[in-house]
Parts: sequence; structure tokens; C-alpha cells
Amino acid sequence: MFASVPAAMLFGARGHPVAVEVHVGKGMPGFHVVGLPDESVREARDRVRAAVMSSGATWPDTKITVNLAPSQERKSGSGLDLAIAVGVLAASEQVPLDSLATLAFLGEVGLDGSIRSIPGVAPMAGVLRELDLVVPVGNASEAWVVASRRVHPVGHLRDLIAVLGHDAPWPEHDGPPAPVIDPPGPDLADVVGQPMARTALEIAAAGRHHLLFVGPPGSGKTMLAARLVSILPELSPDASLEVTMVHSAAGLALPPSGLVVRPPYRAPHHTSSEVSMVGGGSHSLRPGEASLAHHGVLFLDELPEFASRVMDTLRQPLEDGAVRVSRAALHTTIPARFQLVAAMNPCPCGEGNAPGECECGDARVRKYIGRVSGPLLDRFDLRVGVERPTVDHLLGSERGESSVAVALRVAAARARADQRQGCVNADLSSIELDRHAPLDAGALAVLRFELEKGRLSARGYHRIRRVARTIADLGPAVVDSIDEATVSLALEMRSSVRRHATADGRVA
Amino acid sequence: MTSTAHERATIAALAGFADMTTARLRSLRSGRTADEAYALAAGMVEPTAALSHEFRRSPRLQDRWRRSAASITPSSMAARCGDSGIEVVLPDDPHFPTPLHGDPRRPEVLFVRGSLDSLDARRVGIVGTRNPTRRGAQTAARFGHELAAAGVCIVSGLALGVDGAAHRGALAVEGARPVAVVANGLDQPYPRRHADLWAEIAERGALLSEWPPGVIPEPYRFPQRNRILAALSELVVVIESRERGGSLITAHEAAERGIDVFAVPGSIDQRSSAGTNALLEVGAAPASSSDTLLVALGLDHRRARRTAFDSRPRPHGVEADALERCTIRPQSVESLSMELSLDLAGAAMTLARLERSGWVAESGGWFEPVDEYARFV
Repeated sequence: MFASVPAAMLFGARGHPVAVEVHVGKGMPGFHVVGLPDESVREARDRVRAAVMSSGATWPDTKITVNLAPSQERKSGSGLDLAIAVGVLAASEQVPLDSLATLAFLGEVGLDGSIRSIPGVAPMAGVLRELDLVVPVGNASEAWVVASRRVHPVGHLRDLIAVLGHDAPWPEHDGPPAPVIDPPGPDLADVVGQPMARTALEIAAAGRHHLLFVGPPGSGKTMLAARLVSILPELSPDASLEVTMVHSAAGLALPPSGLVVRPPYRAPHHTSSEVSMVGGGSHSLRPGEASLAHHGVLFLDELPEFASRVMDTLRQPLEDGAVRVSRAALHTTIPARFQLVAAMNPCPCGEGNAPGECECGDARVRKYIGRVSGPLLDRFDLRVGVERPTVDHLLGSERGESSVAVALRVAAARARADQRQGCVNADLSSIELDRHAPLDAGALAVLRFELEKGRLSARGYHRIRRVARTIADLGPAVVDSIDEATVSLALEMRSSVRRHATADGRVA
Repeated sequence: MTSTAHERATIAALAGFADMTTARLRSLRSGRTADEAYALAAGMVEPTAALSHEFRRSPRLQDRWRRSAASITPSSMAARCGDSGIEVVLPDDPHFPTPLHGDPRRPEVLFVRGSLDSLDARRVGIVGTRNPTRRGAQTAARFGHELAAAGVCIVSGLALGVDGAAHRGALAVEGARPVAVVANGLDQPYPRRHADLWAEIAERGALLSEWPPGVIPEPYRFPQRNRILAALSELVVVIESRERGGSLITAHEAAERGIDVFAVPGSIDQRSSAGTNALLEVGAAPASSSDTLLVALGLDHRRARRTAFDSRPRPHGVEADALERCTIRPQSVESLSMELSLDLAGAAMTLARLERSGWVAESGGWFEPVDEYARFV
């Protein structure tokens, strides 16, 4: 007998529909999986056999052939277990074939017949929109978020057999949980003083500019960076779904509602490998940190300590907003439109940027900063010095402005930008800049001076103008052209890396 | 009494032995002819009791010296010095610098490029950190320039930062003959970024080293160099120093020799003045201008002050306030906005304007005042 069961597999952050075809027929007892299964799929045989028998059904003592179609693509992972089990049961006439119509099955089975959660249910559900889904209980909420038809969370294969044999109704479940307000993350109110760094965070949030903090240890760079997400606007419905897909594919814990609504914050350690940063691995192409930070913040602490190859792998997603991963027979793109925030010491001794504070010679400083490649350093629209808070600030009882208040200004600035040009300021092209961020005479004089001095490259010139546009958007009133004070501040927001220490001496 | 060419070559070669120090050279030399000392170090004769003791203390020394003796002969050293235009001066020679004669740790040999006559003038040692603030570097250049203009010989160490600025300031005076005491052989300029200074001082003044060509600037040689620098100066002024550093060693060496130490006072909460302020506390004299030093040398300081025309437009209002703050200590946009209660954009604009009109210069987000000596920094 033959049965074909719809399922899906995960590839990068995308689901691909798979038809699990099971044939149970005469021949030497055995179990064969064809259709390019990898080792993890081949192992399904032992899990499925035990699960079927634990659920009170019988394992057919004949030749069982499982084909995973389309058969040209490599299959991996345990997510096809449930479909194989159902296929075997249907092909051996233990459940009626007609009961499978309009159903797709996702999940791993345990030896005791329990149905276990798997990563990537959200993207897999996304490609099975024409069917009702049977999913593990643990994956129910993300499936509900994505699926367009019914979702049946089932905890045990025995229950599933009963339902399919028309002996029982679908198990009762609460249905999609009501959206929960996430517990608030760390708040900007915890940051005392630091007006420059706080302003930089606000500008970064409003214009989606990449941000580099330069400052001695203990100046609060990490603390500041962790608070960026608290002032970012909530994700749009589309973005929310994209982020949920990627997080689900990576097997990350999703919020109870199943949908990621806050921009994610990822802070990989500086010992991270290339694969962990941009994703990959042999078969399944797991999303890396760059993708997990999709529509959120990727924070790299101690930037110069990252391996230069790892830093370089970030350049392509920074440009394209997605990671292209290719292996011998596979390639895919995983979304990775993240906002890069990094922190570093001003020099190896870490004592600071202030003149006369530091013991490092120019050569040492240049070598240290040189560990961050020029092109990557260039991506940061904002490069802001952070100083240790003064004693007065530390001991004072005054708390900073709270994230809620700042987030309101950020949202207003984003709305202005969106209304004007339909994108965030960091994405403005140089032509759009002329239209949307014209400079007044004073501002033009400032930039002319910098350009003539050779301290500003053409690319730097555009970056300054984008940041200046954001600073203007954050102001109380709508302003069309950029003035001298705004452009001066934008320039200062890029000056924390010592001039003599950058390779060509330019602010660029 | 004058040494022979052979003596000079032999001692020069000996000074070039691996791990040679001033103390070792002196004990090899004591009461021996140059040839005897060389033979002793090269292992051609039985080591004395004192030398065997030294060999036991540094196990590989005997071996190294033997190997050095094989590669460094008096004739090869003489040729090497000759090629690089380096003169060898022994204490017996008439032009061996007089201030070093009575020194408790007198160098046994000096290598010279240029003319030792430069030391016949009044001499002031100017020292300080390798990483000065802009103000520190400008002060060094100013002192170097003004003292040189008064005919004083500037003695310094040719290091990056304060030393270099002092030398550059001095060299800008026509006829100035500064002296630099360095810690490596005179065949290789060090630091390399000062190669131009190195050449100009050798040309116009004198370059001095205790070590022959081929000796590289190892860290332990710098404190030794500092003692010669101090001993050659009539007074030493420390321009800027953090809580520890080579310039404090120089100050210490000077004080031990009864040479007056001056220090340029700085703000008490600036790390860049921690060392100089500490010197003031233990009895160094404050030097707020080069006049103080000229008076200390007994030179007439009542010369007509040359008032250079400053073409920069005078800042007014908030810019003048900002410039004043920068003069007190380096300012960032953030610190200035707090001190003057400006918003960040206002502070950034004020500083940027001051920078465009040439009153301040920015590095790494910090603004420091610029004076007419900035070109030597």
C-alpha cells in the first residue's frame, strides 16, 4: 500500500514543502529511506519504529520504502519523523488514508511515542498554507501565528492515531494565546550623565545608524548598547513575522505569544566563529547571529578582539541585508538586516582618548585600531567617545530620562522620515540627500572646510549628512534644511577614533 | 693626555659586546689598558675573581662575550664608526665633556656625531612624556625656541613627544646647536619618525650616545641615557609627565647631582601633569615660562618681548569662553556643554568654529588650544 504525507523541511530560514511517500509492500522486511536523506533523517527509522510500537500500533514486518520528494534536495533533521510515522501507519492500513487529506505533519517523535518540538515550525508552516497542520504542542503558538488554516497541537502519537481513526476528536487546546506585553528590558533611566552617548543612542535609534562606542573600560559602553532596543519602535507586522521565522528556524525560544514583536538584541562573544556569526553549518544552514539580529541590534563588544575574518563576513550582510550561504550543493539567503552597534577601547591600555591620559604610543594605538578593518569602521555613521561618569554623576540621585520618553521622540523622528522619504535616514541615497537634507550656508561652510582639509572623504560627507538629517528630525520642530549646529554635532559624533590612528588620517 | 686611535677603537669594540653595561665596562676598564680590558672580556686571559663572580651571576655572559669578541674587533669597529661619521671620545680626551668628568657614573666612552663644542654654551635639559597633550608639546617647543634664541644649548633625548618638540623649537632658531643624548648606536635613527631631527641635530649640534653603532635601543638603556642627559644639563625642566616615566628618572638623576629641577605646573586633576606636580611637591621649582629658566641661569631676561602678530580673528562671546575652558584643560563637546550649559549641538558648533579659525585643534574628540608653537608639534 502507498501513502503520501505532506510535511516540510527547513533550509536556512525558509521552509520547503516535502512529500513523504511511504510504500509498504512485499519483500524482505526492512526500512529504506531514499531521496537524499542525511544521517539524522535516516535515524528516523529507529525512532519511528519504537514510537509506533509504543503507541499500540503494529510495525509492518514487510519491506517499507520511504521516499522524500523532491528527491534532488538534501533532507536533514528530525522534523520529518511524524510524517514518516503517519505514512507508515496509513500505508499499512492502520489509519484510514482519507483521514489524512488536507493535513500536514511536523514534528519529531520520541521512542515512547511522544511528539516533540522542532526548530523552524514557523517558516515550515509558512509553506504549508493550504493545509491544516499537526504540530507538537511546544510549537503551537508559532504555528498559529503563521498558519492560515487550522492548527492541531498533538502531544502523543497514540492520540493522533485515535483522531485519525475517527475514534476521538482533536485534543482540546487553548487556542492562540493573547499577546502578552513583554517585560520591559533594561531602561535608559539607569544611565547617569553621559549626555553625548545618550544622544548618540537616540540618533542611532531614530535614523537606524550603525553606532560605535569608544571609551575606557567601566565607561558603560555595554550598558548603553543594551538599552538601544528599549527605545526602538516595535516591529511592523511584516518585520515581526520575518523575525519570528528566523528565530524559529534557529530554534530560539519564542515569546509565549509565538510572535516576536520587539526588535531582537544579540550580543555574540568576541570568540565567535564565522559560522556562528553569519550562519551555515553542513546541511541545515542554521541562521547566524547576524540573522538572529534581523530587524534588531547586533552588538559586538570589544570589537578589535573579534577575528578579522569574522568582522569581514559581516560586510556582505551589512550591504545586502541578508546572508548568502553557499555549500557544495546548497545555497540560500537568510535575512540579516541588523543595526550594528559595537564598543571598543580607545587604545590598548584603555585609559582613554583624552590628551595625555594614555600611555600607548601612536604606533600601538594605530595597530590596535587597525585590527578593525577600514571598510567596517567606515560603516559606523556614529563613532562616539564615552567617558567614565564623573563622581558627582555617580553619587547623585538624579536618574536619566526613561526609555519611554526617549522612545516617543524616536518614534516621532521615524514618522517624519517615513512621511518625507519612505525609509529611515541611514538608507538615504546621496541623490535623495540633496532633496531631503539640503544644507544651509553655514552648514555648507563647515563641510567645505572639512573636505578641503582632507579630513572628510566623499563617503564620509554623505554619512555626516544622513546623521545631520536624523538630528534635525529629533528636534522639536520640522526643519527642511540642515544648519551649522546640526552638522557640527554630526561631525563630532564621528570623531572619537583618533585621527592620527586611522590609516589615512581621515575621519572618512 | 689624549687616547690613541687604537685605544679608542678597542674600547668602542668592547662597548659593543652583547649585554655590555656601563658598570661592566667600568669594572673591566679599572686600572687596565684598553687591550687588557678587551682580552679579559674576550676570554683570552683567565677571568679575575670579580669577573668570574659576574659570569656566575649571568651564566651565559661569558659565552656571549666570546662570540662578540669573534665578530667585533677593534679594527672592524673603527671602520664602522668611520663609515657612519661617528667620533669616539674617551675620558682621557681633551674634548670629553667636562660635566661628565666628575660624574659618579661617568661613561667610559662616548660616541659623537656633530660637534661637542655645542656643550660650551649654557645648557638646559628639556624632558617630558612621549604622549603629551597638545599644550605640553607646544610648551616644550616654546621653551626650546625661546631658550635657544637666548643662546642656550637645549639638551634632550630626541624621543617622541616633548623631547622632539623641544628640539624642533630650538632648531627653528638660526645658529642653535642643540644636543641630543640617545640610547642606541648612532648609525640607526631612533625613533624612526624623528630621522629628520636626528640628521639635523647631527649636522648643527651634537648627537651623543654611550653605545657604539649596531646597538639597538633596548628598554634598559633609556634610564642609563637619562643620567647622561641630566649630567650634561645645568638645569633640567620637566614639561609634562604622568605619575611615572623616564622624565622623572631624569629629574631624579639631576637632583642627585645637585642640578636644579624645574617642572611646568599643570592642573591637579589632569593625569598628564601628575608627574610634574609630584615633582613640585618634593621641591622642584615651578617654571611657567622660559624667563624663569633664564633667570635661574643668571641670564638677562629683560629682552624686548617679541610680539608676533596673530592673524587669527579674536573669538568673542561664547567662543571666547570656550577657548578659555580649552586652555584650562582639553575639552570634549560633552564636557564643554556641561561647563557652559550649552546643548550638545551648540557646544559642537562653538568648538568647530574655534577650530576653523585656528584657535583649537581636535584629536579623538578632544579640543586643545593652538599657539604659535603648534607647527613644531
